[in-house]
Amino acid sequence: MAMSLMRPGGFSYSELANAGPVQHHFSPYTDNGGSIVAVAGKGFALIASDTRLSTGYSILTRDQPKLYDLNSNTVLGCSGCWCDVLSETRLIEARMKLYKHEHQKEMSPGAVAQMLATILYSRRFFPYYVSNVVAGLDANGQGVVYSYDPVGHCDQNLFHAGGSSGALLQPLLDNQIGLLNMEIKPTEPLTLERAKGIIKDVFISAAERDIYTGDGILLKIITKDGITQESMKLRHD
Amino acid sequence: MKGKNCVAIAADRRFGVQLQTIGTDMDKIFEIGPKLFVGIPGLATDTQTVHERLRFRTNVYELRENRPVTPQVLSAMVTNLLYEHRFGPYFVEPVIAGLDPKTNEPFVCGFDVIGCPCEPEDFIVSGTCEEQLLGMCESLYEPNLEPDQLFETISQALVNACDRDAISGWGAKVYIIESDKVTIRKVRTRMD
Amino acid sequence: MALDSLCGFSTSQPAFKGFSSMCTLQNDLDVFTGNFKNNLQLMNPPAAHIPELEAMKVDYKDPLHRERKTPYGFYKTPLGYGPVEVPDVGAVTAPDSGLKIKMAHGTTTLGFKFKGGVIIAVDSRATGGMFIGSQEVKKVIEINDCLLGTMAGGAADCTYWERFLSKQCRLYELRNREKISVAAASKLLANICFHYKGYGLSMGTMIAGWDKRGPGLYYVDDDGRRAPGNLFSVGSGSTYALGVLDGSYKWDLTDEEAQELGRRAIFHATHRDAASGGVVRVYHVKEGGWEKISEVDNDKYWEKYSGDKMPIVIN
Repeated sequence: MAMSLMRPGGFSYSELANAGPVQHHFSPYTDNGGSIVAVAGKGFALIASDTRLSTGYSILTRDQPKLYDLNSNTVLGCSGCWCDVLSETRLIEARMKLYKHEHQKEMSPGAVAQMLATILYSRRFFPYYVSNVVAGLDANGQGVVYSYDPVGHCDQNLFHAGGSSGALLQPLLDNQIGLLNMEIKPTEPLTLERAKGIIKDVFISAAERDIYTGDGILLKIITKDGITQESMKLRHD
Repeated sequence: MKGKNCVAIAADRRFGVQLQTIGTDMDKIFEIGPKLFVGIPGLATDTQTVHERLRFRTNVYELRENRPVTPQVLSAMVTNLLYEHRFGPYFVEPVIAGLDPKTNEPFVCGFDVIGCPCEPEDFIVSGTCEEQLLGMCESLYEPNLEPDQLFETISQALVNACDRDAISGWGAKVYIIESDKVTIRKVRTRMD
Repeated sequence: MALDSLCGFSTSQPAFKGFSSMCTLQNDLDVFTGNFKNNLQLMNPPAAHIPELEAMKVDYKDPLHRERKTPYGFYKTPLGYGPVEVPDVGAVTAPDSGLKIKMAHGTTTLGFKFKGGVIIAVDSRATGGMFIGSQEVKKVIEINDCLLGTMAGGAADCTYWERFLSKQCRLYELRNREKISVAAASKLLANICFHYKGYGLSMGTMIAGWDKRGPGLYYVDDDGRRAPGNLFSVGSGSTYALGVLDGSYKWDLTDEEAQELGRRAIFHATHRDAASGGVVRVYHVKEGGWEKISEVDNDKYWEKYSGDKMPIVIN
């Protein structure tokens, strides 16, 4: 006796049991989560990422920062499909080496930003599933942040939140750093200490509500003296 | 959002179909009792239907029991109403905010489309810019806020979240519910 | 059957053919970032038509979710989805993984000719799905000091190809000792669009400028369409903008009236269209070059344009 239970999808379990050849799908993408936040200010740029790498509901590692020092004044943050992150960053590294040897100087953040857009666009029809943020110091020593969509649209901002909790954090940065909807605006410009504080706070909030963000953060501080880093623990659950 | 002896509930005022904004004066928050409100974001037609049905049920309850609806009772009603349509749900995710009629204990509660209640001790968010609201509230909220501080917090959270959502905004309305009064304020937001 | 053919590299790309002498750094760079040398050389998508794949019943669903023609033949339509004709790149999904690749789109742009030249006005919002990715995108691309391009559709598509166009225009100038005409510039872009027709590019652009024939305005889109005209509006908010524009447009507008008309049309479009918003940018192309007229946040215009229509009360 065969009972067929109809599922909302419209096929029955008995059909499944007698199914002939099964079609398999190959998906080149996975989402390994992770969040990046970058803030630029007068004379500094900050970029931070969490250190959790996960797939679905399981955590692959609790200690994998997603930041790459590209040179002495530029840092790249990537989150998304980790395999794409790896191959993309390797290409950037190679391209930057070529540039350095060809031009006898380091790439400026602006040049890196444009190059990354071109690299991403080269895969327009099979995109890197990565959310990229570039932070650096420009020729005048001012902080700059560039953010990207997966196929290489580049946008210059003063702050950006990307990755799995980008949607959670971006409005908060708009409010706290962009000073949107603020009646009484602070007169002095954003200080390094305050920017650091905001970044740490927003990551604590993100870890609270986003399962792909947590474990810890790595924060890179770019000033004219080079890049220093700090880390902080986040929720481990 | 819960405060000290007060609660607040706020919603934007857009009425639109996908990308088209049709109206900018839609109320999504409805009065159920003197200190009890329900916000019903979602499909506009279901918002109205669910509100009317709740109104019917609360009226019947008050007539039969001869006592005011408490937030807990309303919560049970919403759950039942939504779960009755388990296999063809109303596309709304209601939020209840109110004070207990006797004890003035703050109460907030949110539901999914089929009526699973969630009763947190701080705040609940719902609607198209849920994620943005979650991020805002998680960072801005602190417990035991006074009514005016609560107003500032909930408005900032709502307005900034709506500014990052294409289909929310176009004005907002904030209700601050205290034991002796309810303050309703319209908040100016971006109109694009 | 190795990963290389699974991913579609073996038929089109020399990489992954084993660790032979081909795997030099230079070779890899040429393959993976071929567009640095030749901007037109974008990497091919993985091919679902490869016989081995068919035999294995491995059905790769392309992430952009669209039937398209490749140099090797036609892609299969993913099961359950018909051929997609209208470019809708708002949220394209790889159905089997459930991942979403969101591209910036949703726009209002407009351009019109009048006796004083060409007015270009745009909004500045970029959305990915319903999330507002940015409120201050530059949707007018300054190709050179006589030519402007607008962007609507995929932000990356527009920026990349209009940047390429800008390079081509400069090369033309160096080769021919004269400025490229608007007609020729727009034709270059239309040719690219035609070359990639069916690949799922998403762009709706206007090319505006001033050349020896006077003011020029062309519409170019991802199908390879190209049309000269007096008045265009492109993007999700274009219907609203056209409503305002058609109501007050005439050839004899003064410069100020024309600039104000463009601004007002964009403003009203951003009010009704959720995917448009941010800053209103107005450009004016005159003889001898373009000029940026204004760049003001929409929010500042609300009181001015709305009148008593819908008062916002602040108590």
